[in-house]
Amino acid sequence: MKFEKKRASVKQEIPTASMPDIIFMLLLFFMVTTTMREVELLVDYRLPDAEALEKIENKRLVSYIWVGKDSRMQIDDSIVKVDDVQPIMYGKRQVIKNIIVSLRVDVGANMGLVTDIQQELRKAYCLRLNYSANVKI
Amino acid sequence: MLRKKRSLGASIPSSSMADIAFLLLIFFLVATVIDVDTGIGLTLPEYVPPDEIEEVKVDPDRMAAILINENGDVLLDGKPISLFQIKNTLKPRIISKIELPKKKKLIVSLKTDRKTVYSAYISALDQIKMAFFEVRDEYSNSRFGMKFNDLSDEGQTEVKNAIPIIISLAEPEAVK
Repeated sequence: MKFEKKRASVKQEIPTASMPDIIFMLLLFFMVTTTMREVELLVDYRLPDAEALEKIENKRLVSYIWVGKDSRMQIDDSIVKVDDVQPIMYGKRQVIKNIIVSLRVDVGANMGLVTDIQQELRKAYCLRLNYSANVKI
Repeated sequence: MLRKKRSLGASIPSSSMADIAFLLLIFFLVATVIDVDTGIGLTLPEYVPPDEIEEVKVDPDRMAAILINENGDVLLDGKPISLFQIKNTLKPRIISKIELPKKKKLIVSLKTDRKTVYSAYISALDQIKMAFFEVRDEYSNSRFGMKFNDLSDEGQTEVKNAIPIIISLAEPEAVK
């Protein structure tokens, strides 16, 4: 007796004709979601961890202030001093009314500096703050 | 002399289109950073020039004063506690004030030294926020049977009114 495997006489190929379309769709998705990095970071920092985090819903309103390990501050593309914070942020507030300032401060920074920045921000009427932090695992 | 025109099928070779698209796709995959900005939100008070500052007396029962010194030691209302006890110490105090009118809710005041490390400050702020968030969750659970984040807008406003997050950052002292 002969044993023969029964095989369905159907083509065993995955149709690849639509592959480019699928890939194009993925491509479009990523093209749309990609935001190119706008600023070049000049300071080195590590964010603290926290649990009670909130997401910033509206990214358009956010403006960043970086404070690095060596206590240098960066706004936009340049290193600034504490005294410069008020005029810069006031100018930004003229453009965006309800601006949110996101402070990206290194874990080891002194509170004195952070307090100074906060005082300057208060003078510039940028009152909405966000202390950037990573999710604690 | 007439030459017969041959009909040439003019077509762009499309077999490599998928590869090209793949390359582009990989580029954008690598370039994409989907980072959600997370952080602890806070609203600063308006700036008042030092000579115009009015001292407002607040009922000491309403205040929870947290002090952090440069070594990261924490004082809550004069009693030394650990940084990670702040949440559980504050929670009963927040709960006890839920039913009280708006002017009697708990105010948490946070004060640091100039030499305090930033991470200690953030941990303390985190603990305070957590205490408020947990009380909010418990309250909305007992009232609406849902977590605070799942509530409708009216529900959220109601809970927010019952448990407002009042964090006061102490006015920095002049450097001596």
